[in-house]
Amino acid sequence: MVNVLLQNLKWLNVLLLAVSASLVGCNAAIDIDKALEGHLKGPAKIYRHSLAGAPSSLDPVNAATVYANNIVVNIYDTLYRYKYLARPYEIVPNLAVAMPEVSDDGLIYTIKIKKGVFYADDPAFPSGKGREVIAEDLIYSIKRHFDVTNRSQGSWLWDGKIVGIKEWKDVGSHYSQTIEGLKALDSHTIQITLLAPYPQLIHTFAQGFSAIVPHEAIDHYGREFSVHPVGSGPFKMLRYESSNYALMIRNIKYRQEPIDLEFEGYDPKLHKQYGIDKISGKSPPLVDALKIDFIKETASRWASFNKANEINFTGVPVEQVDQILSQKRPKIILTPEMDEKYHMSHNIEAGFVHTDFNMRDPLIGYNDDPVRDKRNKLLRCAIRSAFNWQERNDVFYSGIGIIYPGIIPPVVPEFDPQLSNSSTLRNVDEAKRLMLEGGWTSDNVPTLVYGGVASVGTRQMYEQFRGWMKDIGFPEEKVSFDSYASFGDFNKSVKEAKIMIIGMGWGLDYPDAQNTLQLFYGPYGSPGSNNSNYNNLEYNRLYEQTSVMQPSSERTTLYREMNNMVIDECVSMTGISRDRILLWHKNVVSYADIQIVGGFHLKFVDMLDEEDK
Amino acid sequence: MSTVLDTSTVERVEDKVGESMWSKAAYKFRRDRTGMMGLSVVAFYMLIALGVALGLWGTEWSDNNGQKWEGISSQYWFGTNILGQDIFERAIFSTKTAFEVGLVVAVISTLIGAILGALSGFFSNTWIDEIILWVMGVLDSIPFYLFVAAIAFALSGFSYSMHVAMIATFWTTTSRLVRGEVIKLKNFEFVEAARAVGVPQHIIIFRHILPNTFHILLVQSTIVFVGAIKSEVILSFLGLGVKDGVSWGLMIAESTLEVQAGEFANFYAASALLFILVMAFNMFSDALQDALDPKKVSA
Repeated sequence: MVNVLLQNLKWLNVLLLAVSASLVGCNAAIDIDKALEGHLKGPAKIYRHSLAGAPSSLDPVNAATVYANNIVVNIYDTLYRYKYLARPYEIVPNLAVAMPEVSDDGLIYTIKIKKGVFYADDPAFPSGKGREVIAEDLIYSIKRHFDVTNRSQGSWLWDGKIVGIKEWKDVGSHYSQTIEGLKALDSHTIQITLLAPYPQLIHTFAQGFSAIVPHEAIDHYGREFSVHPVGSGPFKMLRYESSNYALMIRNIKYRQEPIDLEFEGYDPKLHKQYGIDKISGKSPPLVDALKIDFIKETASRWASFNKANEINFTGVPVEQVDQILSQKRPKIILTPEMDEKYHMSHNIEAGFVHTDFNMRDPLIGYNDDPVRDKRNKLLRCAIRSAFNWQERNDVFYSGIGIIYPGIIPPVVPEFDPQLSNSSTLRNVDEAKRLMLEGGWTSDNVPTLVYGGVASVGTRQMYEQFRGWMKDIGFPEEKVSFDSYASFGDFNKSVKEAKIMIIGMGWGLDYPDAQNTLQLFYGPYGSPGSNNSNYNNLEYNRLYEQTSVMQPSSERTTLYREMNNMVIDECVSMTGISRDRILLWHKNVVSYADIQIVGGFHLKFVDMLDEEDK
Repeated sequence: MSTVLDTSTVERVEDKVGESMWSKAAYKFRRDRTGMMGLSVVAFYMLIALGVALGLWGTEWSDNNGQKWEGISSQYWFGTNILGQDIFERAIFSTKTAFEVGLVVAVISTLIGAILGALSGFFSNTWIDEIILWVMGVLDSIPFYLFVAAIAFALSGFSYSMHVAMIATFWTTTSRLVRGEVIKLKNFEFVEAARAVGVPQHIIIFRHILPNTFHILLVQSTIVFVGAIKSEVILSFLGLGVKDGVSWGLMIAESTLEVQAGEFANFYAASALLFILVMAFNMFSDALQDALDPKKVSA
């Protein structure tokens, strides 16, 4: 009887979700048809993508979120992009003709851009016809980041790196004035001069922040430019409702570049099942219209995909993972029912989740008393030994995350698969031994304060942590939760070094371990990015040494040495890279990626015709 | 068909003529089956809460010893949640949380409401009355949950921010009721008499008048009590409530994702316990109100 009742409730739940999704969907469907009227000829290929949030701005200077980035890289051009299919990620020219020519001292980058690339037609241009993209456009686009009136969120990529850029900003950001380190050698050649070698520079030109904008659009639209993007990318914005959806159509002026699957990293064993071979030789974009729905509620997004067929793509909510998989390990396999309906891939997070100790807190971190300092280290190591990554993975990350030692995540080429994973294994006996060695008892242990946002998930993580600490002798009242109403408040406290134990996630800006190693660089301590306030002179020296080195085996060795230091000193409980399951309909040809490749993959998405199926 | 008069009740009430209002009310309350049933349930809950406070049960609410989402068993009566915690233990412990919040908020807000209401009523149409009325007007003009959330948010580092928020809003209704009663009472002969013999004003207010508003305070405090429990659940659900420990609100918040995964135990346990207590309290409160209504008592 109870089972029958539960079953009925489940159906009621599903029914309600489906009804609400279909109501929303009906409106959206009507909007799409109306919006596309007159813009497309004949039967159109429309791909309906979805994102878990909405962008706050489509202006590249503020493309700080993954949601904005997904749209920006499809409307605008960037100099570089990542190969569609190759893993680990490989950077390749996009608008640039080739990889940059770099001077021997690593300070001067010369980049040629393709000729005959035009902006999409828009009223912003004289007579409404998009003009050719030129080198000056890139210079203008970077200058915009240093114009204080734009409040750029991406200026940190080049701040203190390019010669003369600070001076240009300091004297009032006059666009007519030149910047010594940013020159157009001719209409299609850019030269960038750096203050110091910056091997990651090339990756900055594969981000939405570096998207190339025409000054005419900013002059024409002013503040409205953030919702009225004009670029030379594969798509052109047709309609944008900032909290609902973005509807884009193919940019008919987009350059014709037939897809070379081998170049993109095609591997038949991996990619043939998705029908990727069918796009070989075609020129992107492959669909006539791209609609991206912003659906924050996971249940709505799931219903919209699974029940209402309103969207062609979704990420799978954590709570649905067990329902759709028949196997999680060693290989993720869909249930036969789901496999019949959908294509699936899973993306290892380009980043990681870690829980740091605040080393500035004398109760657990550095202490002026050398004896206490040593005891604190033993305490940290004991806590780390009691930390149960496998359980955290099972409960919060569907049991499919990748657990690994240290701070170099699997997604970067410098990851060391041979590194001992002992620091990630729960060992209660070892934890108790370390407590004993440090002279820690339930009476004299300090109260552990676990900080986090007052959300259900964070609270549950704290409760789980408290349970583990109880296992090694911490009394319940000595593990407390410091909750914050918003992430902003929590982050403020972290930046003021007020929180003892900090659970954080980090998304890579580019696939280079330098991006995570900087999180433990002493001078970047709070309020900088080093939340743990770890400050090891040798680590700092190695960081400075490697920060000007080009990728090489020598640099990788030094990176790994730094990684070991963080592990040995028990600075952080780390880590896990989450694995996200992505599903898309069988009539879509795609290899979805929500990580480094991100929005770049959308121009390669195709829809099967009836005869292709 | 003839109507049969229930003479026993009439006789009993007549028997009580000459007794105090309180004894009449107690008698009437005892005759109210719904009220008595409500009281019994509330008393049962209170017993559970007391046992939790004394450490007799509900002590394993924070242990993560079980497996994720275990079913109902002799070990886990309501199953386990996503962390493998015993849902029954957590539901029982939440009873203490509910009573703690309800009691603190009811006592303090009733106290504030009584004092300010009495002052406002006694000094009606003076600047004291105007100031108190103005404060109440300002507080009442802000939507309740918005105001409570704002205070809880502003004091988010403070363990009792939720209590403060609720007290700050709940006292005004009590205060208005007491004010009205005091305005009526201050013109009664016993007050006139006290004035005539030179009893100081504060003695008149707090020793002579205020005790005569106890029936209002008692009913009002039960209403506040149950209101506080409901508000705690909502605030905890929103992440603005209980800082440490567990509550039904937190359990319901936890269950939002679980329900989507087809796990209902957390949701049912917290909702059912909350529903029964609120229902019982409402029944109790209604019966108390009827029993203490001077018109009905003296009828």
